[in-house]
Amino acid sequence: MVRHSGQPETVTTAGERQIGLDGRLFANYQPHATAWDELFLAPGRPHDHCRPLVDPLGQLLVEEFQQRRASADLAFVNQGITFSVYADRRGVEKIFPFDLIPRPVAGTEWKVLELGLLQRIQALNLFLHDLYHEQRILKEGVIPEGLVVRSKAYRPEMIGFNPPGRQYLHVVGTDLVRDTNGRFLVLEDNGRTPSGVSYVLENRMVMKKVFPQLFQHCRVRRVEDYPHRLREALCSVAPAAAGDPPCLVLLSPGPYNSAYFEHSFLARHLGIELVLGQDLFVDDDKVFLKTTHGPQRVDVIYRRIDDDFLDPKVFRSDSLLGVPDLIRAYRAGNVTLANAVGTGVADDKAIYPFVEDMIRFYLSEEAILKNVPTYICARPDDRAYVLDHLDQLVVKAVNESGGYGMLMGPFASAQERAEFSEKIQANPRNYIGQPIVTLSACPTWTEEGLAPRHVDLRPYIVSGKSVWVLPGGLTRTALVKGSLVVNSSQGGGSKDTWVMENGR
Amino acid sequence: MISRVAEHCFWMSRYLERAENTARVLEVNQTLLLDFEVPLEQQWKPLLIISGIHDMPGEPDAETVQNYLTWETANPSSIASSLQSARENARIIREVISADMWERLNYYYLWMHSPAASNLYQRNRSEFYNQIKRINQLIHGISEGTMAHGEAWEFFMLGRYLERACQTARILDVKYHILLPTPEHIGTPVDNAHWVAILTSCSGYEPYHKQRPGADPGVAVADFLIFDPIFPRSVRHCLRTCQAAAHAISGRPLSQPGNEAGRTLQELVGWLQLVHIEDFIRAGLHEALTSVINRIHAIGDAIRRTYFDVGPHLPPAACPPPASESQDLEKAATGQYQTQSAS
Repeated sequence: MVRHSGQPETVTTAGERQIGLDGRLFANYQPHATAWDELFLAPGRPHDHCRPLVDPLGQLLVEEFQQRRASADLAFVNQGITFSVYADRRGVEKIFPFDLIPRPVAGTEWKVLELGLLQRIQALNLFLHDLYHEQRILKEGVIPEGLVVRSKAYRPEMIGFNPPGRQYLHVVGTDLVRDTNGRFLVLEDNGRTPSGVSYVLENRMVMKKVFPQLFQHCRVRRVEDYPHRLREALCSVAPAAAGDPPCLVLLSPGPYNSAYFEHSFLARHLGIELVLGQDLFVDDDKVFLKTTHGPQRVDVIYRRIDDDFLDPKVFRSDSLLGVPDLIRAYRAGNVTLANAVGTGVADDKAIYPFVEDMIRFYLSEEAILKNVPTYICARPDDRAYVLDHLDQLVVKAVNESGGYGMLMGPFASAQERAEFSEKIQANPRNYIGQPIVTLSACPTWTEEGLAPRHVDLRPYIVSGKSVWVLPGGLTRTALVKGSLVVNSSQGGGSKDTWVMENGR
Repeated sequence: MISRVAEHCFWMSRYLERAENTARVLEVNQTLLLDFEVPLEQQWKPLLIISGIHDMPGEPDAETVQNYLTWETANPSSIASSLQSARENARIIREVISADMWERLNYYYLWMHSPAASNLYQRNRSEFYNQIKRINQLIHGISEGTMAHGEAWEFFMLGRYLERACQTARILDVKYHILLPTPEHIGTPVDNAHWVAILTSCSGYEPYHKQRPGADPGVAVADFLIFDPIFPRSVRHCLRTCQAAAHAISGRPLSQPGNEAGRTLQELVGWLQLVHIEDFIRAGLHEALTSVINRIHAIGDAIRRTYFDVGPHLPPAACPPPASESQDLEKAATGQYQTQSAS
């Protein structure tokens, strides 16, 4: 999509001339046959809450739209808003393709989503605390014990430990999808080190530059408070003995990590230091930063490194990214890690089917946001069903993310299905199956003009002493026709998400 | 600030400055060759020598040498490599530099890899090198106006001026390697033209004539480029600026160098205060410049030891390390530093 031309002035839109530059933007747009369309109820008929967006945008000629697109691309290239792809030296950085048509969410609908997310995070947090203390939920048989303790992300080191404020999940990105009836469902919870929020903020910045007048039409809720909210949350969970203000750092795996841009972006916007493992050391169970003026005490680490790599003395001993004795300092209560250690068990895909049960168990409420129905291959009945219906289901490895380790049954070859069948039987605990949800679609610019492309939505929830949901989130979009895979590592792009304050 | 980040700041600006100066050297050589007949083997080889390159593949003819010093990624000090390294350092410390700086640096990095850059190189070599010079000047200007002048800024200054001091000495050394046809040519128009070209490559032509009205080019040019107190590319001025930056970082008054970085700087600045251009000529300009360049390298090493290679178990910042300091003072008193710096 984005032409990575060497000299930004020469970014062109050549090759798209056949589309007819003099037509209006939505003139030829045909919504998807079955998927829910995020903008249109029917061809030419927008949802009510989308009118303030569709009406002015629809006045644009395709040619004018193309000009704005070129200027947005230029902004992304010049600002180096990129993610790294592990390839040769020259092509290491790729631009995350950005689509200019926003994805609107009605204000009223957002309120429900927000409540649903808050409820979910609260339950997940209580689950983690319970799991690493009394384990009531296991003892009462709500979740099978074997399923939990065999999770790769379960950390017995956390048993009996109280993180400050009993907060485990400081930042969560929950993946939502909309089915053909327009109902939002939770696809997965990301409670380890969810990424993507920098794109939300950058996308908004670019949209405001490219379409300033659109924002006057559609009162869109602000996303720009995110860094401030995150900072506040991190400060609120600092150890009791921390400095005032506490010293916060962001711990990154380093410039070769695919999300380094985001790490640096957040450090910049939070006004905190971006550090690598080598910049920190532990002495007397306290964490210090190596500075030009000697060691400086660190109170809170917003870490973007997985548990496995945090401390070579406790987890993977070959890790060069972590800090020896960090876990000792953590357990001594001298430093806060956000997110806490051991949260991965809450977003294990085999535990995910129990989140609605957790909500009932801990909060005595019904889940506001429903899960996608899920078959747990560890259960013999479910496994038999999955093996019999491989051609209809999506099968996911429970501990993978980013669209890796996944089988899209209907689109797979017989051989691929046979391979997965073997894998499932060899290690059933490692797999779940779900019916394929036809994700909602949104008008997206393609080689053939505007066409529906499937999207999901990842809102971000920030928790410290209080909990806050970023209004909107990252809308990821598949760029290939018919594809339901939206992950950036699999060639997806993104859109700005607009929570419309005036929409019904 | 974090030692590792300080090191990236230092190197980002060093690489930018290096790209600019490589462009200056290439340009001055080009200009010299326009006016005078120089034997083929002496035309471009000196540029490799002063860059410390002994293993360039191929013959040292004009195109090969220019290409190697401009584009060759296997040559770590080529302009392309320097810009790449500057940009990579900047990418790592994007949370430290201003957004405007990053955007421009990234823009020119992309430009360097675009057909526009190679076309300009083919079409108008001199304008191409001018453009390279402007990259550093522009980013320096942007940083001056958009970044807090705190510690990170001081590390930029330290890197920039240390590199510049070294490069000015190198450019001056070109003169040594471009031989005059015979000794009788000293002081002739050919000789003078060489000096003027060197002066021009350091943007020093007009400042020189204002400072030293009517002075014949020649040794006076060397004097100007090494010793002038206010010309921003003279070795002495560059080192004094480094000294100011180092003291802004350490927070000590100029009279107390305190750490190794400060001391090595003070020694070289102090020595330049005592010697004259005649001493340089007597010792041999090339030999004296080589010694200056080596001492600048030693300062770079001292900066690294003082600020970047910080061990994990230093006492806290509030109490400076008295033990090691007194040891160092002892060494200084026994003249160990003198012998080190004289070597």
